[in-house]
Amino acid sequence: MTSLRAFTCDDLFRLGGAALDAVLLNCGPQYGIPFYLQYLAHWPEYFIVAEAPGGELMGYIMGKAEGSVAREEWHGHVTALSVAPEFRRLGLAAKLMELLEEISEKKGGFFVDLFVRVSNQVAVNMYKQLGYSVYRTVLEYYSASNGEPDEDAYDMRKALSRDTEKKSIIPLPHPVRPEDIE
Amino acid sequence: MAARGHVQDPNDRRLRPIYDYLDNGNNKMAIQQADKLLKKHKDLHCAKVLKAIGLQRTGKQDEAYALAQEVAALEPTDDNSLQALTILYREMHRPELVTKLYEAAVKKVPNSEEYHSHLFMAYARVGEYKKMQQSISAQDENLSKTMFLPLAERMVEKMVKEDKIEAEAEVELYYMILERLEKYQEALDVVRGKLGEKLTSELQSRENKCMAMYKKLCRWPECNALSRRLLLKNSDDWQFYITYFDSVFQLIDESWTPPLEEEHSLEGEVHYSIEQAVKFIEERITEESKSTRPLRGPYLAKLELIRRLRCRGCNDEYKLGDPEELMFQYFKKFGDKPCCFTDLKVFVDLLPSSQYTKFISQLLEVIPLSSTTESEIALPADIKALQQHLCVVQLSRLLGIYHAMDKKQKLTVVRELMLRYHHGLEFGKTCLKTELQFSDYYCLLAVHLLLDLWLEEGEEMAVWQCLTLLEEGLSHSPSNAQFKLLLIRIYCRLGAFEPVAELYSSLDAKHIQHDTIGYLLTRYAESLGHYAAASQSCNFALRFFHSNQKDTSEYIIQAYKYGAFEKIPEFIAFRNRLNSSLHFAQVRTERMLLDLLLEANISSSLEESIKSMSLSPEEDDIPWKDLRDNRDLTVLFNWDPKDRDISEEHRKLSLEEETLWLRIRSLTLRLVSGLPTLSHSIQPKNSEKTAENGVSSKIDTIRSLLQQLEAAVDSGKKFLEQKIQYPVLGPPPTRMAGFFSNGSCQCQTSLFYLVSDIYELDTNGLEDSAEVQERIGNSFKSLIERLTDLFNKCKGDLIEVRDGTLKTQPNLLENLVFFVETISITQWVSSYCDGVLRPFKSNLQKKKKKKKETNVAMPPVFTHFLDYVTELQTLTSNVIDHIKGLEIILTALKLEELSLKDTLLLQEEKKFTKTVQGKVQSSYQHSVQEIGELLKKRLDTIKKLKI
Repeated sequence: MTSLRAFTCDDLFRLGGAALDAVLLNCGPQYGIPFYLQYLAHWPEYFIVAEAPGGELMGYIMGKAEGSVAREEWHGHVTALSVAPEFRRLGLAAKLMELLEEISEKKGGFFVDLFVRVSNQVAVNMYKQLGYSVYRTVLEYYSASNGEPDEDAYDMRKALSRDTEKKSIIPLPHPVRPEDIE
Repeated sequence: MAARGHVQDPNDRRLRPIYDYLDNGNNKMAIQQADKLLKKHKDLHCAKVLKAIGLQRTGKQDEAYALAQEVAALEPTDDNSLQALTILYREMHRPELVTKLYEAAVKKVPNSEEYHSHLFMAYARVGEYKKMQQSISAQDENLSKTMFLPLAERMVEKMVKEDKIEAEAEVELYYMILERLEKYQEALDVVRGKLGEKLTSELQSRENKCMAMYKKLCRWPECNALSRRLLLKNSDDWQFYITYFDSVFQLIDESWTPPLEEEHSLEGEVHYSIEQAVKFIEERITEESKSTRPLRGPYLAKLELIRRLRCRGCNDEYKLGDPEELMFQYFKKFGDKPCCFTDLKVFVDLLPSSQYTKFISQLLEVIPLSSTTESEIALPADIKALQQHLCVVQLSRLLGIYHAMDKKQKLTVVRELMLRYHHGLEFGKTCLKTELQFSDYYCLLAVHLLLDLWLEEGEEMAVWQCLTLLEEGLSHSPSNAQFKLLLIRIYCRLGAFEPVAELYSSLDAKHIQHDTIGYLLTRYAESLGHYAAASQSCNFALRFFHSNQKDTSEYIIQAYKYGAFEKIPEFIAFRNRLNSSLHFAQVRTERMLLDLLLEANISSSLEESIKSMSLSPEEDDIPWKDLRDNRDLTVLFNWDPKDRDISEEHRKLSLEEETLWLRIRSLTLRLVSGLPTLSHSIQPKNSEKTAENGVSSKIDTIRSLLQQLEAAVDSGKKFLEQKIQYPVLGPPPTRMAGFFSNGSCQCQTSLFYLVSDIYELDTNGLEDSAEVQERIGNSFKSLIERLTDLFNKCKGDLIEVRDGTLKTQPNLLENLVFFVETISITQWVSSYCDGVLRPFKSNLQKKKKKKKETNVAMPPVFTHFLDYVTELQTLTSNVIDHIKGLEIILTALKLEELSLKDTLLLQEEKKFTKTVQGKVQSSYQHSVQEIGELLKKRLDTIKKLKI
């Protein structure tokens, strides 16, 4: 039981409660206001929030569309997916992912991708269940707060209908460095 | 205007070398080349501007500016000049000139979309939102509705007729314009028409926009039919149930009936009776039973329908069933989900209070708990059963069952909950450090019960047990924010700020949280004498607020560029919400007061300090009317019954209290900032121009501020007469009550009255001043008395062992901090006094020498002042001695040797008790040290007062 709607700036003021506890399923950089605003300005349709009947923020998904169409790399990207602990095990993450995929389909993307910590088995398994597979490993993609390299990431992908032959998800044989990914 | 396109402008070719020189950093050559070009082509304005850029970059700002203004005066409309000037102005940090430039260009070439676009961005950069809104949103309602929006509408209409609208963003914009003009029907036609087909990228963009317009137009049949359709597609989306119910009841109230021949509505079939609604919801439940994943929506919708029917006086005429039974069924289905409690919370009002206990036992019966030999209570065998049990415990608290218990029963529950907590840890052995333990809420609920015992039944021991259990919980679940937040609140209530800073930083509060939960820190850091930490927490917040102002402007431009027009008014509103934040105004004010407290007349003079903050008594930068309370007052979970929970009323009252207190603080700051303006170091004495050049108007400002302060104090006192008690975990009360009750308020206001008297003496001179002198003398005397009273309120032990438990008196710390602040203001005022009296004295002494008379009478005010300063010194020294005494007691207190009577905690838990007591002790020591050091510095400045 959820109300799904576009994320607005006012929701930022309510992130405190949920986000303090929410463990991001796939972590990006430390988010500051500019980061959120950039997504809202550029890809507002890719920023969706779920609200409970009592008004609590249940979770949100934030993503973007990027890549070259000519090289068949135009795709949807999941930047952040977060569900508050109270609202776990309701299939909310799956629902939000489904929406992001739907939008990416409409935009004519070839696939949807995301990065996830190699150690985050819960998230990796969840994405596998949703039809994602590991496309490549990105070495030392995550860094600790002191700037030291911290952990590798999996780049996981799911082909969309435009990629009829599912070329986009054929796993790379070798890992890549963060500077090699576009 | 230059015709852009295929034919290359010959000027472009001529200017090229200058651009290249500038790009390569060869500014001198750029200037030379520009001069050369200008000899041949006098009217090539752009060359002048490029030369100006070269001059600017070689440090010749004035020349550059003059040259630029020459060109700007001509109001150029060629791209080259406009762009070059834009670059130059930006390098000069004069973005406001760019707006002027494009304002002129737009006037001359009103059809240029490009120039309008540049103008918009220029406005965005300088933050001239007023003007920007005129063209984009409808802030300036009248102007935009009568001028800009209709103009925009006509422009878009023309484009529509010419079939020129192509992009989705343009349709969005058209919709926005019509919506803002309140042309809802037209907006609806656009969305439903051919253009609406372009609205594809956002999910259900068309449906959402239609729905918004139907609501505006009160077209309930359409609202109903559309929400019904959307629910058929997704029977779990709550917002559409709400619209569905709203519209059904609207239609019933209007006695709406469908037309005979035609379709029910634009959106299809309409439900307009309770019977239909009941049937529809029952159908959703039947459908749900076929779905692979259980959906909560239909079940909760049924409860919502019952709630709405009850409100209309219907009972069970429609056979929806008994809410108690429905909630019981809901629990059986979803009780193992963590959100079951939050879901049911919305509907507990449907239960009769006589049924609470029965309801809870009914739930408990269906949880698979099993007794073991080791434990006297039945425990869950898996996470699902634990989750169900937790849900019941939460509901018990919500229904007030624990509140009704006596002390002994409460303690039994605490023990049981802790046992369950420890048992539940077994299920989370593989949890990562970043994950929470499944049984954390047991611990939290036990702490809530202990809090009740502490605050409602005065059980001193309970507060230590609260802290113990929370620290223990945190050791098992190091990223549980609720543990940290509650620890922060309790430590602060106990007056111990030291552990708080670390806890807060481990919360990793980011950006907006400085605004929403920053109050947890800033309310206490300074008031408990942790001055360094207070500065730091103000800095966090201020850095965030300042960077926000810059950031938002950039993203307003981006939203415009990417065609996310709907976001532009949203971003502006966001920026305004932050700029008028109550917390922002508070940290601004408190930060300046704090800086003065720590520095003024210590490391720099009061005058310098005030100057460096660009403070002036006339200036009030707080948007009193628009203050926004962005605090998140529900950041701490609680399961209290509605009558004990934080209500809207509490929020309103707390905002009122905070605003009153902020007014007092801000007026105090402005009064202090006015002190140096009265001083003679700025104005030569006895100047005839006194009246004109403003010193007399300065005293008027101060007198008027003092009146305002008195009024604010009166309102504050009236407010406190209501004796409002906020819920324990609700908003913390301000420092205002202490400020009044310990007497600092009286001291501080009387100090500012003293300023007024001394000013009078200063301007009228010593002749015929007996009356004023006496008034001043009396003020000195009563001031010393008041300060002594204030000191008496600081006396006592911060921490002591009594009746086998530790008792604390944190209010003594708050009083001490108020004392130091009051002494500081006293010193600033006294130093103004000193500045006035000193020249009088030296004049008299000169006279004395000249006339060689021995009996030139010294006016009594000198003696009054000297006596007063001596007493001030003695008093301050006494307070310093008292603080030293506190330090000694605190150091001597060997907490680890204490054996406190505690039968509740387990042996291994008691080590956490030692830790928390040690933390409180060390924090008090820290407070006392910082307060003592500052007071010593103040004493040194007092010693310098001798005329």
